[in-house]
Amino acid sequence: MEYNLKNREITLHRIPSELDELVLRFTSIIERYVKYTIISGYISILLGRARATEDVDLFIEFINFEKFKEMYNNLKEEGFWCLNAEDPREIFSFLEEGLAVRFSIEGKPIPNFEVKFPKREIDKGTFEDFLKVHIGGKIIIISSLERQIAFKRYYLKSDKDIEDAIHIEELFKEKIDYEKINKLRRVIESIK
Amino acid sequence: MPKEQQKINIDKEKRVFLKPGKTNQEDRINFVKFWANYVRTHSDKEWSKQQNIIINSQIR
Repeated sequence: MEYNLKNREITLHRIPSELDELVLRFTSIIERYVKYTIISGYISILLGRARATEDVDLFIEFINFEKFKEMYNNLKEEGFWCLNAEDPREIFSFLEEGLAVRFSIEGKPIPNFEVKFPKREIDKGTFEDFLKVHIGGKIIIISSLERQIAFKRYYLKSDKDIEDAIHIEELFKEKIDYEKINKLRRVIESIK
Repeated sequence: MPKEQQKINIDKEKRVFLKPGKTNQEDRINFVKFWANYVRTHSDKEWSKQQNIIINSQIR
């Protein structure tokens, strides 16, 4: 695994898991319509954490209903469905309300993709400092490691989240910007 | 010393031991650090083969 800080890229020579393959399948569809960034637990797993997960969380930039409908239809054509509703207008209204909607392979609720629009400024920031992860000749976009650590340690805080943060810290010890984590921590603590 | 024996000795020198935790939480954190160190010091192919057993078994 190589982390090129300057280019903001991580290159993995890992054998992709079935979860990685599914993530690539899903993101290859949505990136035709909108920018996305993966957040939360899957990042630690992609980077080697030894645990499973039932969902992969991602932010998508705001898109209008027409564009969303096209994306949704494409997802359906490719074998995904939404766990929250079938009507695209209803699904879009959930997103507009700031709620997350979940997509999975039709008839298989896990693992699923939890998709939401970023609401707060700090969430929108995930699109500014993202990282590209190269895996199996393809790319997955993830939020910065510092953002991951800060959210896991100071916002989510469950045992699992703290362990995810520790995994990333141990893995990239010398390359992590702890000052950035502290800045994010202050923002997180101010919005709670 | 035969080459194979040299290799075994080098592997032994490199070996890092997992410290048992006094509580379940401490033990888990020690393992998370132990595994992260393994990921750092082994090829992606080596660690991902092991990790995929956990992940792929959930999906099947």
